[in-house]
Amino acid sequence: MGTLIVCPDLYIIGDKMFAEQFPIVFNALNVGFLQTIKLFFVTLLGALPLGLIISFGSMSKLTTLRSITKVFVWIIRGTPLMIQLLIIYYFPGLVLHNPIWGGGEGGRFGACAVAFIINYACYFSEIYRGGIQAIPQGQHEAGLVLGMTKSQIFFKVKLLQMIKKILPPISNEIITLVKDTSLARIIALQEIIWAGQAFLKGSQGISGAIWPLFFTAVYYLIASGLLTVLLGALEKKLNYFR
Amino acid sequence: MPILEVKNISKQFDNTPVLKDISFTMEKGTVLSIIGSSGGGKTTLLRCLNFLEIPDKGKIIVNGEELFDGEKNKTFTDNDFRLRRLHFGLVFQSFNLFPQYTALENVALAGKLLAKERPDFKTNKDAIYAEIDESARELLTTMGLKERMNHYPHQLSGGQQQRVAIARALALKPDILCFDEPTSALDPELTGEVLKVIKELANNKYTMIIVTHEMSFAKEVSDQVIFMDQGIIAECGTPEDVFDNPKNERTKKFFTNY
Amino acid sequence: MKKFISVLLVAAMCFSLTACGNKAAADSDSAAIKANGKLVVGITDFAPMDYKDDAGNWVGFDADMAAAFAKSLGVDVEFVEIDWDNKVLELDGKTIDCVWNGMTLTDEVKSAMECSNAYCNNAQVVIVNKAVADKYQTVDSLSELNFAVEAGSAGEAEVEALGLNFTPVKAQADALMEVAAGTSDAAVIDSLMAAAMVGEGTSYADLTYTVGLNSEEYGVGFRKGSDLAAMLNDFFKASANDGTMEACAEQYGVQAALIK
Repeated sequence: MGTLIVCPDLYIIGDKMFAEQFPIVFNALNVGFLQTIKLFFVTLLGALPLGLIISFGSMSKLTTLRSITKVFVWIIRGTPLMIQLLIIYYFPGLVLHNPIWGGGEGGRFGACAVAFIINYACYFSEIYRGGIQAIPQGQHEAGLVLGMTKSQIFFKVKLLQMIKKILPPISNEIITLVKDTSLARIIALQEIIWAGQAFLKGSQGISGAIWPLFFTAVYYLIASGLLTVLLGALEKKLNYFR
Repeated sequence: MPILEVKNISKQFDNTPVLKDISFTMEKGTVLSIIGSSGGGKTTLLRCLNFLEIPDKGKIIVNGEELFDGEKNKTFTDNDFRLRRLHFGLVFQSFNLFPQYTALENVALAGKLLAKERPDFKTNKDAIYAEIDESARELLTTMGLKERMNHYPHQLSGGQQQRVAIARALALKPDILCFDEPTSALDPELTGEVLKVIKELANNKYTMIIVTHEMSFAKEVSDQVIFMDQGIIAECGTPEDVFDNPKNERTKKFFTNY
Repeated sequence: MKKFISVLLVAAMCFSLTACGNKAAADSDSAAIKANGKLVVGITDFAPMDYKDDAGNWVGFDADMAAAFAKSLGVDVEFVEIDWDNKVLELDGKTIDCVWNGMTLTDEVKSAMECSNAYCNNAQVVIVNKAVADKYQTVDSLSELNFAVEAGSAGEAEVEALGLNFTPVKAQADALMEVAAGTSDAAVIDSLMAAAMVGEGTSYADLTYTVGLNSEEYGVGFRKGSDLAAMLNDFFKASANDGTMEACAEQYGVQAALIK
């Protein structure tokens, strides 16, 4: 922030110029943020259930399935999401000579969604596993002696208890996800940081403007603030039992 | 015909025998207590009857129907075991109530899930559910929990929770109700209310198997007592025989130390 | 342990396949594009070569020429904004067909892509604060300055060759920012960009440009081995002859830099 003091006119640029810039920038940032939000929700929608399936794999009685799942989770959690994005987007064209994603915006979004869903599902799966294993064995046995099937025990007995236990760590991941969406610009998905950065380089007649990039932080703050309130309310709602 | 015949049940954990060739029978409407020191195999026997553990060998016969035979069990599916479990009810030492459900919901839940397997479920759903709720309310009232039906487990005392658990087990009308040290997790001042409920059930001729450390209670309520030690039945007989005239050296020693 | 080794082997195979992939990518690019019905042009927002007009359409000297070239091939043109650092990856991954964005023909670019002939001149110029501009009018006077340059740019190659102190930054605009903020003494950027962004009436009114380092040329990059480069050269020749190229350049004020 020291640079602000050195050269204030550069950033604030006089009220008139700022007033001219603001609507253009605001509009562009909104368009970028829409992509951010879209990626966020698509990722959650895919990763929350996929994580559950992966967690079942990692707890399976079949040794092969368990090992394969664990190696997969290790690879995904052990490599940066940025690399996974690059591999998922460029690998089909580079190696298989079949650029399935295409160059357009839809393809880039598709590749991002796949990479984010797989990545977050692996993190979620470990949280789920911890949550399921933290439920006392007695709950499972009580269900068994009452003649419940395994799926009834999971959905009617364990699931809500698991959700209550995992809500704090999942909330953490969800808020991280809001910010992680900015990684998508590595394969040129034009999310909000990309939109903000464009004005630094020059776009729509505005160049060298650094404030739009900083201003994106406001969007992230509002989004994570809303999520914090929402997830907090959900946590409170589950406080009716222990 | 005896209500339960257990023939030559054996069970090992990691090559350590826990049950060795256990056989006994019991009649309908009687109470069987199983006593003995910890690690003697009492709880494992109870868990085998409820198929929470699968015996390595032996037979379990209820009302003349062979539920389990160690020779054939290999082909049993999860569902085979699930249906066989319904002959038995089990009340756990640690209650194991479902924390997210009220007392009433705990008692009614399993019945409602099982009702889905009834052929008339779709047409009669509301009536069936109302009936299940009504009998759950009656059960809880008999347990002295009329005012507590809509409380969640964490809002109930240990004794109240265990009474809910007993009602939950009774709701499915099992042939034989099993108790695994039902008062061990309770403060001494709360054991009385649970034992009282079990006594009332005995008076009403419920068939029960009770694993317990409450010797005077076992003596009072039982028709038959089994003393287990190191995986075998060391002594079996009427309460008078076992408590007052033990013949086995181990039984004698157990009562001396007790 | 065996599994770990097999995973590593698979990963290694993937990389070797990638290496092979580059060589095999060339069987008639023009046929592939015609089959696909469109020419996908990788660009960045870089006025006056490629930028969006008020209606949101891509225009500029490069954009208009690319559209004309696609038309001559009988296919549609599609502009895709890319991350400039990943341009070779985008080409080889076939997510774009060419890079047409005021790209300086450096040795690195020429070895990684099939390049067209140069169509535009450019120079790398030194940017300093106006107040001290008089002191830095020759190459020899630059040695005491700390430079900010775009990583991987032609400007970086220049300062490196001259043995000057420099900090690589993400973009040319960032380099300007450094000078304006005083965190670097000077920057090296494209002269076309300097003309548009520095001096009176711009956001950087306090900055000016002094020495021109080497001059350089812009070209269009295709996948290695692509037949489209030669086709574009023919197209350039034809448009130069019929005057359409000159007319287009005049529209965006770059006619002086045009190579005829």
